[in-house]
Amino acid sequence: MRVHVVEDDAGVSDSLALILRNIGHSVVSHRDAESLFKGPLPEAGDAVIVDLSLPGISGAHLVRWLLNLAAPPRVVVITGQSQGFIDHQLRGLVPDGVMRKPLDVDAIAGVLPAP
Amino acid sequence: MKDFAPPAEALRPPTVSEARLLSVLDTAADGIIVIDEHARILIFNKACETMFGLSAAEAVGQNVKLVMPTQYARDHDAYVGSYISTGVKKIIGIGREVQGLHADGTVFPLELSVGEAATPDGRQFIGILRDLRPRKESEQRLADLQSELVHLARVSAIDEMGAAIAHELNQPLTALMLYLQAIRRAHSRGVDIVTVLGDILDKAAGEAERAGHIIQRMRQFVEKRDPERHVRPLDPLIDEAIDLTLLGQRHRIRIDRQPGVDLPPVSVDPVQIQQIVVNLVRNAIEAAAGVADPAIRIRTRASESSVVLEVQDNGPGIAPEALPKLFEAFASSKRRGMGLGLAISRTIAQNHGGDLLVDPGGNGSGACFSLVLPAAAMPDEVG
Ligand SMILES: Nc1ncnc2c1ncn2[C@@H]1O[C@H](COP(=O)(O)OP(=O)(O)OP(=O)(O)O)[C@@H](O)[C@H]1O
Ligand SMILES: [Mg+2]
Repeated sequence: MRVHVVEDDAGVSDSLALILRNIGHSVVSHRDAESLFKGPLPEAGDAVIVDLSLPGISGAHLVRWLLNLAAPPRVVVITGQSQGFIDHQLRGLVPDGVMRKPLDVDAIAGVLPAP
Repeated sequence: MKDFAPPAEALRPPTVSEARLLSVLDTAADGIIVIDEHARILIFNKACETMFGLSAAEAVGQNVKLVMPTQYARDHDAYVGSYISTGVKKIIGIGREVQGLHADGTVFPLELSVGEAATPDGRQFIGILRDLRPRKESEQRLADLQSELVHLARVSAIDEMGAAIAHELNQPLTALMLYLQAIRRAHSRGVDIVTVLGDILDKAAGEAERAGHIIQRMRQFVEKRDPERHVRPLDPLIDEAIDLTLLGQRHRIRIDRQPGVDLPPVSVDPVQIQQIVVNLVRNAIEAAAGVADPAIRIRTRASESSVVLEVQDNGPGIAPEALPKLFEAFASSKRRGMGLGLAISRTIAQNHGGDLLVDPGGNGSGACFSLVLPAAAMPDEVG
């Protein structure tokens, strides 16, 4: 099983990959939703961590698309935006977790499947 | 004495009796000093007594240098001498701002106009003086008010951006925290990370620096300072201001940035100019927010002896009825807008000898604001 990270901020993406590998996950990093679509798609046992503010295709779109897959992966949203913005973006969508930045690794590990 | 024919603007010799003349002079609101060819004071009216703190009795018969600060006094004899021998006017017939010296030592600004009269006793020069201090003070008050207003508007822009800034700071803080947690974790489990530790610490430090840089830029922008002038290329200032405006923008917006080619530098207060850019770009983002594919074009170009910045959006443009009051303070169509952005921006532009212009667009094209700034004198002219 893999953890996909879709995050455009290089620092956040790199540090997140580092600590997830540290925990024992195998990590695939993407700068935006478009590049995730280009590679092998996430499978049912995988997890996808999605930043809500992405360039191009929005984080909310990606979340909707992932949750609508026949065999959806686990989807975790990360964001630094306000609660109002999150609610507005995620109208009707129920991801497996929503984490507000700054992130805490134990909270993330809690929603991911064991490596 | 033919060659000393009086110049065209020479006054006729007084025809009223001297006593009558003096009483007229004494009711004048302006200071009046009459001197002879040797710069000796002949007449010193009441207004002058108050203005300089000297009685007529003390002044009459003295050299007029008595009421001039030293640097003027030094040049004055030379002026009078050179005029009498060459006829070249430095001040006669031309009003200008000079400095006066009060008996208590205060040096103050004066507006001085000098006329000349040919009299049976030789040539006389008549100076009419107006104390400029009251005007200077109100100009200063206006300038103070203006800089206060500029500062306030900047703070209010920051306030609105506050939430966005918090988001922007969250990024480096998140990365920093995760790097540190990764090290902590490896350490507590006895994992050997020695080979990568230096690298991780460098990255963590880089993120802390990035957070600091964001705060530093905000601080530069908010702190109140006296207006300054620096000769700078315009484009880097604009790019920095665009970055600042886009900090934590929630919705991504397409920005088409077209920097100028071979632009001359401008002489500006960098922070104030950046404030204009922030205002224009914020307005453009807000205007374009409602369209399907929001986009802004930010272009700089040279035009004659000016440098022009254009901010064009693809929003709805400006309604004809809003146009007349567009640049007035408190003209806003936004729920949370103060309507200060454009008013302040135009004031700043004009204080720089430039202007802020608008092409309102409409009928499918967005508004385009142009900031025009005079090009700075080329360095070799400055020295
Ligand atoms: N690019 C634009 N397109 C359309 N309308 C604009 C544009 N820029 C400004 N306006 C109009 O001009 C008004 C005044 O703008 P201004 O920047 O002075 O104030 P504001 O944006 O409403 O408030 P503030 O800038 O003080 O937060 C705006 O409310 C808006 O109606
Ligand atoms: Mg505005």
